[in-house]
Amino acid sequence: MLSRQDAKNIIDKVIGYSKLPQCQVDLTWTEDVFIRFANNGITTSGYRITQQVSISSVTDDKREGNAVVSELADAALKRGVEQAEELARISQPNPEDMPALGPQKYLTLENFDSFTAAARGDVMIPHVKAVIDRARTDKLTAAGFIQRSANAVAVGNKAGLFGYHTFTDSSLTNTMRSAGGTSSGWAARTSVSLKDVDGETAARISAEKCLRGAGARKKLDPGKYTVILEPAAVDDLVGWLGFNFDARRAEQGRSFLSKQGGGTHLGEKMFPEYVTLRSDPMNPKLAATPWGPSLLPNERIAWIDKGVVKNLSYDRYWANKAGKDPTPAPGNLVLDGQDNKLEDLIQSTERGLLITRLYYIRYLQPQTLQLTGLTRDGVFLVEKGKVTDPVTNYRWNESPVRVLQNTKKLTQPSRSQGDEMGPAIVPAILVTDFNLASVSDAV
Amino acid sequence: MRTRRPSGFLTRRSFLATGASALLANKLFGAPAASSAKPEPALEKLGAVALAEAKQHGATYADIRINRYRQQFSGYRLSPQRGSNKTDEVPFVTDQQSFGFGVRVIANGQWGFAASPLVTADEIARITREAVVVAKANSALQASPVQLAPVSAYTDRWTNAFEKDPFSISVDEKLELIHSAALTIKKNPKVFSAFGFLAFRGEDKYFASTEGSSIQQYVVQGMPLLEATAVDSEKNISRTRSYKIPPASAGWEAVAKANIGENAPRIREEVLEHLAAPPVTAGKKDLVLLPSHLWLTIHESIGHSTELDRALGYEANFAGTSFMTIEKMGKYQVGSALMNIFGDRTNEGGLASVKYDDDGVLTTKFPIIEQGVFKHYQTIRDQAHLVGEKESRGCCYADSWSSVPFQRMPNVWLEAGPRTVTPDDLISGVEDGILIEGDGSFSIDQQRYNFQFGGDAFWEIKGGRKRGMLSRVAYQSKTTDFWHACDGIAGPGYWQQFGTFFDGKGEPEQINAVSHGCSPARFRQINVLVTD
Repeated sequence: MLSRQDAKNIIDKVIGYSKLPQCQVDLTWTEDVFIRFANNGITTSGYRITQQVSISSVTDDKREGNAVVSELADAALKRGVEQAEELARISQPNPEDMPALGPQKYLTLENFDSFTAAARGDVMIPHVKAVIDRARTDKLTAAGFIQRSANAVAVGNKAGLFGYHTFTDSSLTNTMRSAGGTSSGWAARTSVSLKDVDGETAARISAEKCLRGAGARKKLDPGKYTVILEPAAVDDLVGWLGFNFDARRAEQGRSFLSKQGGGTHLGEKMFPEYVTLRSDPMNPKLAATPWGPSLLPNERIAWIDKGVVKNLSYDRYWANKAGKDPTPAPGNLVLDGQDNKLEDLIQSTERGLLITRLYYIRYLQPQTLQLTGLTRDGVFLVEKGKVTDPVTNYRWNESPVRVLQNTKKLTQPSRSQGDEMGPAIVPAILVTDFNLASVSDAV
Repeated sequence: MRTRRPSGFLTRRSFLATGASALLANKLFGAPAASSAKPEPALEKLGAVALAEAKQHGATYADIRINRYRQQFSGYRLSPQRGSNKTDEVPFVTDQQSFGFGVRVIANGQWGFAASPLVTADEIARITREAVVVAKANSALQASPVQLAPVSAYTDRWTNAFEKDPFSISVDEKLELIHSAALTIKKNPKVFSAFGFLAFRGEDKYFASTEGSSIQQYVVQGMPLLEATAVDSEKNISRTRSYKIPPASAGWEAVAKANIGENAPRIREEVLEHLAAPPVTAGKKDLVLLPSHLWLTIHESIGHSTELDRALGYEANFAGTSFMTIEKMGKYQVGSALMNIFGDRTNEGGLASVKYDDDGVLTTKFPIIEQGVFKHYQTIRDQAHLVGEKESRGCCYADSWSSVPFQRMPNVWLEAGPRTVTPDDLISGVEDGILIEGDGSFSIDQQRYNFQFGGDAFWEIKGGRKRGMLSRVAYQSKTTDFWHACDGIAGPGYWQQFGTFFDGKGEPEQINAVSHGCSPARFRQINVLVTD
């Protein structure tokens, strides 16, 4: 692990080589271990170390240049500084450049677990074995991935700013498929600590989904449905929403937060009062860094508070122009829930679909946040409060804005991970009028 | 079971000892001697350390890749200041390098992999032992032992064809080119913003294996982009229009040929036309798709569905499987008889083109679809026997020294139609349809059946003629329905390659650069929808 002192020494060295008035250094170091499996056996696996030093130099007249190197030899670092400075001198002044920040007070975040940082195959293989054993018992085929990483990040600049942070992360995902590929189930376990990752539980959930989906799948007509989105699906949708609170885009008419004729929806109640979406670097269940891209300290911030658009994301430049304080960037996302369990959502549904997770999500219209994507690894009909038949997969065309507006009920939130976005703390949600646009024959 | 943990972790001490290898990357990968057909001796010496160490520790196969990557981005964003019509002209320049090595072994019939950024003989030996330990530990849970298709031993040095190394062109000149094009776009104050960049990538690769190969290759690639955005606050809409220059394995000459400056006024006018364009009417329509758009549909529907690792279930937990299952090989009618598709890592300019793959296999061109019938999968050495083939088709790739090599897509291209067929011929045969240029929204299911695509620009076709622009267009189809609906492909004179640097697959996820060539083609009665 790259220690605080190692990081400080490297950053000081780089700054020492610098001749231009501003120099910022971002350092990342990662050690990761992973095992991949498929067809009930391990396929590939690895152990690796990666590192990167990003050097950004600025002249007196705001010309900027950046160089990134992976070698830490003195000569390589020196060459990196020279290259960043050469590029800065060649470039043109950046009118949006902000003066370097001086020393900052960063939060001390608790998302490093030493057990996880030291874990190797002996800790991870039993979880893989649990998944494969379960698959064999149930005559299914398992594929999956388990990984852990130990990370150190550091930042410093010529104005005396310095920050250092370490964090760990881990996950196990697995997919069970029936013989002949007629059914598929999926489950994930993801945490700052590998101790929370449990192969048996993940295997049980995916196997149950796969077995439950093994009968003839109903092909319902495309249309608007009441759906229960499990947390993995909510994670993806909330991720696409949560990283779209940029003030600049909203003010300049390029966001779902832009108002017709000008202005933004800031301060308006766009969602039901039980919808609150926050970023929370203090949450020990999610990896986060103490600083954002602007190097300002990260802190808790609500984007939607009780249904009201509470904050827009202002970087330093735009905040300065707007006469506002800059906001921390949305480093992670937490969607508050309610005191319900998934079973409560199912029981309160007269007719709807239970959706395990989503896949291949892309914009249809970035401005309205209309997205397209698919369902995957388990869609089930819910009738009169009970899960009944398996149903085909669907392509959906829908906006996470409308999804949260049409949300009627939420479960308690938990750390979850979808297909596209990093982990977030989100509940399962019951949503009306979800647009399932066409049938997908995929299993 | 317990995994034996090897001694000699990369400690803080060894981490800091990287100071011993000053600028090693530049020393090892100096400019190749024009006449040399052999790799740098220093690389061969380092490579031999891994191979010997692996054998000594019981590996039955080993390879090492010592790689250096360089990427350079330069460009401009021109956009309005807050609450005013004045424009901020924001330049950006970044130059990135990454250097290290990865060792792959087979021990007890199982793959193992380890990688490090510290390129010294001691660290190579240590990391090789790590890879063997990983393989042996995992062998307890292997489905079946790894079998490698035979490969010849090669000693070679290769560079892709380019006239002018883009890294030798001054950043000043690059910035000026984009700045001037962006200014042209912003000349009309109705255009909200202009954005452009030039991206270049260099990949210096050394490969050595216990099969006796020692191969050094250098690939240089470029990707330019110019984009305009227009905003109508009264209607609360914004639209974009891009000049997407084909990314290619080529030098600076490809940028010069793209005539970026000359195309800027067209992009300026077309973004405003796009902003004012009426929305499409939903329904079944004929589509004429240009190569700048169709490449992505080929990529998603045919490129991915014919990857053998997907068909075999290796991607079941992530990228997905494929509707093109093993029993379909050699007989399944995917689309119309006009459809001939090749996998090819030898074609000039293709982003996936290289002389040897990351298994050390000499790359080839091979038929994937012949007259609409599925013929062959994309394969690598450890897969060939699974479909009864005797050799790999050379599709192995890792996106970094720190990534595990696995099966990745070669350039997958659609053969042109008859020489006499022109794009106008295709359009003239359409009563009610849409001409689509450029890529936009794209999404396809995990078995590659149901896809939905947008585009960058859309023109109505009425009565056999191209009319004004449309907006809010997407089309949705099923791979086999779509390709069966193909009834016209323009001739070789209109064939163009486009592609991407960012095709994702695998866990941990890796990217792959790949090109897809085609001529304009026509598809009948495809389901068109209007987006929000």
